[in-house]
Amino acid sequence: MRATTTGRASSKRALGKSAAFVFVFVLALIWLVPIIMMLVVSFMPPDQRAPRFGGLLISGVSLDNYVTVFEDAEIVMHFFNSAAITIPSVILVVIISSLAAYALARLQFFARDIWFYLLIMTLMLPIPTLVVPIFQINKSLGLNDNYAGLILPYTALGVPFAIVILRSFFANFPIEIEEAARLDGCTRFGIYWRIMLPVSWPAVAVVIIWQFMTSWNEFILALVTMNSVDVKPLTLVPLVYSGQFMMRPGPMFAILTLITLPVIVVYYLMQRFMVSGLTAGAVRG
Amino acid sequence: MGGMTRRWLIDNQGLFFMAPAMILFVVFVLYPIFYIFNASLYDWDGINEAIYVGIQNYIEMFTNDRAFAVSIRNSVYWTLLTIFPQMILGFILAYILTSGVPLQNVFRIIFFMPAIISPVVLGIVWQRIYAPFGGLLADFGLAIGARFLIQPYIADPKIAIFSTIFVNVWQWTGFSMLMYVAGLQGLSQEVLSAAEVDGAGARQRIQHIIVPMLRHVHLTLILLGVIGTLQTFALVFMLTKGGPNHATEMLPTYIFLKAFRLQSMGYASAVAVVLLLIALSASIFQVRFLGSRFTIGG
Repeated sequence: MRATTTGRASSKRALGKSAAFVFVFVLALIWLVPIIMMLVVSFMPPDQRAPRFGGLLISGVSLDNYVTVFEDAEIVMHFFNSAAITIPSVILVVIISSLAAYALARLQFFARDIWFYLLIMTLMLPIPTLVVPIFQINKSLGLNDNYAGLILPYTALGVPFAIVILRSFFANFPIEIEEAARLDGCTRFGIYWRIMLPVSWPAVAVVIIWQFMTSWNEFILALVTMNSVDVKPLTLVPLVYSGQFMMRPGPMFAILTLITLPVIVVYYLMQRFMVSGLTAGAVRG
Repeated sequence: MGGMTRRWLIDNQGLFFMAPAMILFVVFVLYPIFYIFNASLYDWDGINEAIYVGIQNYIEMFTNDRAFAVSIRNSVYWTLLTIFPQMILGFILAYILTSGVPLQNVFRIIFFMPAIISPVVLGIVWQRIYAPFGGLLADFGLAIGARFLIQPYIADPKIAIFSTIFVNVWQWTGFSMLMYVAGLQGLSQEVLSAAEVDGAGARQRIQHIIVPMLRHVHLTLILLGVIGTLQTFALVFMLTKGGPNHATEMLPTYIFLKAFRLQSMGYASAVAVVLLLIALSASIFQVRFLGSRFTIGG
């Protein structure tokens, strides 16, 4: 009697599992359609005029669109601009946020909690509320059309989230090791630099990935800060060439694919940190 | 300058560690907040002398500005129609993808992928999906004889906002899924197996144990969802530019339009103040009274 009940229950469970697999499999295929479409259109032969199914069906595979993009669109220059904005902002966020997070986790100082709450408040601010003043600040500092005009605000807006992640990581680190180092004459900065920072690399990795993605994909501040084509990062490139490639989806989608490639690569390399890390921290959309 | 000051500096050496973060915060966050409050009281094109108008911009906004009213309405739609569908679908996916189905890591990567792609890119791709002539949905509808799929998805003011919201749900469901995956992995296995021994079926376990125990994940997703909604810009800007006729306008696209296309920096600042107050009060309410957190770990 008992055996048949368990038998029926386990076959019911197996059935449920197969149904669940079919459900996620079908949904995953649908989920991928826009991304597949982006790739397929980018390989569309230039003589194909009107692609059917939005471009999911093409008459052949060709690399001509990529050739066009590299010849006509200075894509390498824009790639360099994105890197020149993203990399310094990532480095600055790591240094500045880890210093602050160490102080917030371990040191007593004047108005500590007030500073922490003010920094957390930044996470609640929609970036578009700041776009007019940041544009004016950059204008008066002569930083519009300048990499620094984006590096500094990206750093300022990225630091609070990084502090949230690093502070809880530092706070969970056993204090005895620190005290031992203090007795050996290590300064506070020495503890931060030689002990805390090296042991926190998983949290630092999360900060690096997250800041890389936000800086690389940021749009509204880039849109108002960079007016000259020479300094525009990749996110603005579709707008720059939307007129030129309006009737030619092939080159446009080649550009979209090239913009997306670096984030996919970084995500793929780092995704084992990402799952634990993203969830250990929050996100600014 | 003597022993006292020296002593104070040593006791407060944390301030030196904090200094770079504080300076950036003051220049790029605190000062801009004061700036928009001040600028919102002026009629100013950004170039010529600003004219003080008191609260005239706010009066205009709340009594005589249809685009502003539409933006507020759209923000309500967006909040309700993105956050909860993303949470429900994200939870279902996370539940399945932590139950040991084949290829579950591959599936997780697939569902999360749209979240890392720039909304600028996705906006252009979805224009082709929605295009009434030669677009993916329209051609698919023709091919299978489902003519209702042929719609002016983003050109019809009545449905454009919902078409835009749909893209957002597609983009961010994977993020909700990932948060629930982490939450589910953190659940106590003892409680779950105890429930199973007591004869609780899968549905009862989900309803009475798993969902309540993931309360902190739900709260985090709602908090992040509200903030995400209130700063939505790139997707709308690329897909519809806030049109047709403001039908998909959100507060950020309206701020951009006023400030950088219509050169009304003062009015745009007033809209920014309203957006700031909505965002802060909604977030502080959740953090203070519901106990929402920006992180689900720790």
